[in-house]
Amino acid sequence: MLKLFEREQLNLAKLPEAQTAIEVRDLCLRFGDKHVLHNITMRIPKNRITALIGQSGCGKSTLISCFNRMNDLIDNSVTDGEIIIDGRNINRKKENLSILRSQVGMVFQRPNPFPMSIYDNVCYGLRLQGIKQRRQLDDAVERALIEAALWDEVKDRLFESATTLSGGQQQRLVIARALALKPSILLLDEPTSALDPLTTLIIEELMAELKKRCTIVIVTHNMQQASRVSDYTAFLHQGELVEYSDSDTLFTLPEKKQTEDYITGRYG
Amino acid sequence: MRQVALNTHISGRFNIELENLRNSVMAMGGEVEHQLADTLKAIATNNPAQAETVILNDLKINSMEIQIDEECLRIIAKRHPTASDLRLIMIISKAITDIERMGDEIERIARLVTKQKLPSDVAIKSSMLSIGQQAAAMMRGTFDAFARLDEEAALEVYDQDNSIDSEYKKLLSYTADEMSRSGDSMEDWLEILWALRSLERIGDRCKNICEYVVSLTSGRDVRHTPLENLQQTLDNLSDS
Repeated sequence: MLKLFEREQLNLAKLPEAQTAIEVRDLCLRFGDKHVLHNITMRIPKNRITALIGQSGCGKSTLISCFNRMNDLIDNSVTDGEIIIDGRNINRKKENLSILRSQVGMVFQRPNPFPMSIYDNVCYGLRLQGIKQRRQLDDAVERALIEAALWDEVKDRLFESATTLSGGQQQRLVIARALALKPSILLLDEPTSALDPLTTLIIEELMAELKKRCTIVIVTHNMQQASRVSDYTAFLHQGELVEYSDSDTLFTLPEKKQTEDYITGRYG
Repeated sequence: MRQVALNTHISGRFNIELENLRNSVMAMGGEVEHQLADTLKAIATNNPAQAETVILNDLKINSMEIQIDEECLRIIAKRHPTASDLRLIMIISKAITDIERMGDEIERIARLVTKQKLPSDVAIKSSMLSIGQQAAAMMRGTFDAFARLDEEAALEVYDQDNSIDSEYKKLLSYTADEMSRSGDSMEDWLEILWALRSLERIGDRCKNICEYVVSLTSGRDVRHTPLENLQQTLDNLSDS
């Protein structure tokens, strides 16, 4: 039959390893006595944008933070289960966290540029990795800023303070800082909630471009944004994964009533 | 039976907007129902004045279609509806096109009376009224199913179109015979044939609206599906 509109619908439950960026197996997490994540099992596809949605406190940010072990920084956090990235369980004790965090970059809600020049911000991680050669740093900074769609706006003021940039530019700078380390996964925790609608669209366009190079996982409270930008969406409720499917299906014909109630703004 | 709950949004204003939208479709449907009843009366009593009123009233139905369409657009733009809410608005937008077209078909039938071109053959006229009554009953059932978003009622009404179609076919062949025998002008006969066709089309339009109701409740597009397969698909959905 003639297909007018092509839609990709990967079978997420049986996603082959080659197409899986992150595999989560029976992930449970608690802070002290408080259980935050319950038996999360999911496969996040490579080079796609996956959105995590759900009410405040449902565990979205906690889940995304598990992907680069940011929860380790919180006292009394206990994680069970496996998270497989690049064929290895990153929850194992001997995991090298600095390598993991360069491989899995993270951008937060509020842009957090360091109080230094734009140039220094972007090559901060590279310098930490011991790269000192000026030409190598110049190239990496230029490439990262181009990838973050910021180069044209800042190429003549690379040595000005990053704090002089606007909010949207600062957020793209932070993305460039993560991209400079050539991550294979980029975690975005409400990256546009502090930005105006037009700047939000610029960041969303950037995400669509970046997914060619890396896998993006985004946490967002804005359901329109999740439906606009993401290929796949997971709905979490009270630490449990309620539904996880392609975004077209989830936002038009969700399988679970709980998901329908949430996305249509009904009493849960 | 699957149900779509409309008044359960956290936003009370959104509940009111959706309720008003649905009510306005019911009001539009009521108008068209009334138009058909008046037209059938005008045919039965050969009353051109009543038929003229029907033709004028069609403007009201056209205006209702435009207003409801605008409201659908406004709600989509401002509320960003998803899932069953989005399906409801989409089916309303489609249903009002069908309702408006039913209005046009009725107008065409009414013109038969105003132009004094009703069939002189009593058998044709009474069969025409009989199909008209069936179409009116189907229309009533359709709007009832729509008002309650009742999948089972919609399927029941959906089935009634077959009876209208077979009556229409019989009447068509009888009319064709009469045409060949009669000395009346071809133009007059064509008017009658068009009016018969319009009555039959009302049944088809009702069928479309029933399909929309099933699409809304089941979440599956059931257009172009034979009734037996349709029932099977819905049974499978209920089982799963």
